[in-house]
Parts: sequence; C-alpha cells; structure tokens
Amino acid sequence: MHVLLLEPNTLLAQTYTQALQQDGFSVAHAASAQTAVFAADKHQPDVVILELQLPEHSGLEFLHEFRSYPEWKDVPVIVHSMLPPTQTIQVEESLRRDLGVKALLYKPRTSLTQLLRVVREQTHHLELKAGKRQSATEEAV
Amino acid sequence: MALNNDVRPEANELLASVAEQLKVPLAIIARQAELGVLQGRRGLADTPAAQGLDAATIATQADAALMLVDSYLLGLELLRTQTQLELEPVSVSSLLVDAAHDLHGFARQYGVTVDLDMAGRYGPVMSNARGLKAALLSLGFALVEAQATQASDLSESVGKKPARVLLAAHRTPHGIVAGMYGTNQAVSASAWRRAQALCGKARQPFAELGAGSAAGLFMADTILRSMESRLRVGRYLHAGGLAATLQPSQQLQLV
Repeated sequence: MHVLLLEPNTLLAQTYTQALQQDGFSVAHAASAQTAVFAADKHQPDVVILELQLPEHSGLEFLHEFRSYPEWKDVPVIVHSMLPPTQTIQVEESLRRDLGVKALLYKPRTSLTQLLRVVREQTHHLELKAGKRQSATEEAV
Repeated sequence: MALNNDVRPEANELLASVAEQLKVPLAIIARQAELGVLQGRRGLADTPAAQGLDAATIATQADAALMLVDSYLLGLELLRTQTQLELEPVSVSSLLVDAAHDLHGFARQYGVTVDLDMAGRYGPVMSNARGLKAALLSLGFALVEAQATQASDLSESVGKKPARVLLAAHRTPHGIVAGMYGTNQAVSASAWRRAQALCGKARQPFAELGAGSAAGLFMADTILRSMESRLRVGRYLHAGGLAATLQPSQQLQLV
C-alpha cells in the first residue's frame, strides 16, 4: 500500500515516514501542494495524509485539485494538521462530505500509534472493497 | 531598560504566533521519542534507521526549543513594556560566528548547511549583544526550517538541491548589514510587508517562505526594532533572505 505524506516539516516527515515504512507501507513525501500533485501522479497513492498548512498553496487547495482528477476521486484522505480542532470543526462536515476526508487528526495530540491505526483502517477498507470487487467479478465470470 | 507598563495589543498577536511556532519542535520531540519506543518494542532499535533517531536528536531539538523560548520571551517583554534595549558597541562578526555555532546542530538535523561570509573587517556596531544574538537565532531557526522544506520539496520534482543558510555581514553606505540568506526560494519585500500586517491574525502569514506562523521572523524584527533597527528583505551573493542594517560605533572608530 502506498501512502502520500504531505508534511512541510522535514524532520516530522522523516519520523512519520519511518513509522509508516516499519508498518509495511511505502511512502512518498511532498512538502508542498504543487509537488504533491506530481508525487501523486508518480506514486499513485492508496491513502493521503495531509497537513492543511503548507507553504504557498494550502492543503485545502491541494485537496480540491486532487479530487478533480477522476483516478483520485475515491482515494481516502486523512487530514493530520497543526490546525487545532476549534478551527477545523468549522469545515469538518464539508471536508468529509465534499472532499472525501475520512479522518481529521490534530497533529500535536496524535501519537504515531493513533496515526498508524487510522491509516491501517483506511487500507483495510480498501482491501475489503477490492476483495468484494474481485468476488463480484468472479461471480460474473 | 526604561520600563513602561502599557501592554500593547501586538504582544498578544505575537504571543499567538509564538505558541503556534513552538508546537513544531515539541511535536518533533514527542514523535521521535515515541518512534524510539515503538522501535524498541519491535526489536528494531539497532537498525540503521533507528540509530538516526537517538537521544542526541531529541536533545538538539529540545535545546533549540529552549533557545527559541528565551528569544521569544525577550521579544515579548520588549513589546509588552515598550522598552528599548541599551545600545553598546558590539562585534557583529563575533555574534554571527556564535549564532552559526548555535544553529549548526539544529541545521544539520534538517540537512541544511550553515555558512559564514564576512566581507571585510568591521569595527563594532551600536547594538545590544543579547538582543542581536536573540534576533539572529530566531531568524536562523526559522530560515533553516524554511530552507529544509523548500529543498525537500525540490528534491521530489527537479532533483536534489542542497539547502544552505548563509550568515553574512557586509558594509554599505548606510551601515553594516548583517543578515541570513537562503539558497532556495527568495522572499520578496512585498510578501514580507504583507506578512507583517498579518502577524497573529493569519495562521500562515508568510506562506511564501514556509508553513507555520513565522514567529521567529516577527520576533527577530521586534527585537531589532528595540535596537533602532529592523528586519528587511535583502540579497547577498545571489541568495535572498532577511537582514538588518546596524550603525558602526563612531566613538570606537576614532580609537
């Protein structure tokens, strides 16, 4: 499973990357929205972990662009941000409903264990979906 | 210090900015420590990857955070009390060397090289040693993080570009310019002015330079203003950055 990690701080990115890799994920890191689009194109992520506060273009701008491509329409996105919940709560419903955000995590209070659990949950859903599709295809054949 | 007990609203805005900024080193410390624990549990503590996240890494981040807290406290106190730091003859070269030394370990963790360039020899400038050092460190930590972000981003799209922060001083007709400059994306004067207007009001007032509250830059500017100077956008040896003009100490020049 491929994870695209949008994290502007390189030390935090290294830490999250190591934790994810040790959990069996391959990780592509991008520090800005623009690079993240290139990285998504190159690595075709199964899950995206997104900081909303990015240099130049915001994480929200990335998300709108990301969702505009049909192939990434259903890729689960986990918002993992320094923005406190008091800020994200105002846009949470819209993020979930309109932009397919599966979870909103407050970075300073989210342990690696919690982040890994949420990523695993999303990849588990993907595996279940893929399994169902496979069964349906086999039945049809 | 002459004290004035009026509290300025800018102090609250800067405090909000500082609180945001300090989340970053604390999050790094917390997550690196946790990663060490996880690796220990999984028996990965002796792997090359795990060895990179040793106690020294956490200590460097904690030391950097403590230095920042000291600089931030000085800046907030100056703003809150509207005081000016007493000016004294200060060797700008020595302070740049000190600041480079203090930034070195922090920058190395971010994969950023810290270089010094002093074009010529200078006599002392009129400043305040404690204030100027605090301003340089605030500025330096912020620029190192920003340069690392830009470099890691460039490495994904157009090939690895080394990140470098240059601490430099040079003489101009207006005085001695001391500043810090990055080899990656430069900042514009208009972006800096806009960022200053947004300090404490926007979560990312200076998105052109990097993510976050840019508290280090605002704090450096606040401290410099208490020493009859200010932070402005500058360029040096094809690198863009932020710098302050300091006045030479006339008295000592005569000696």
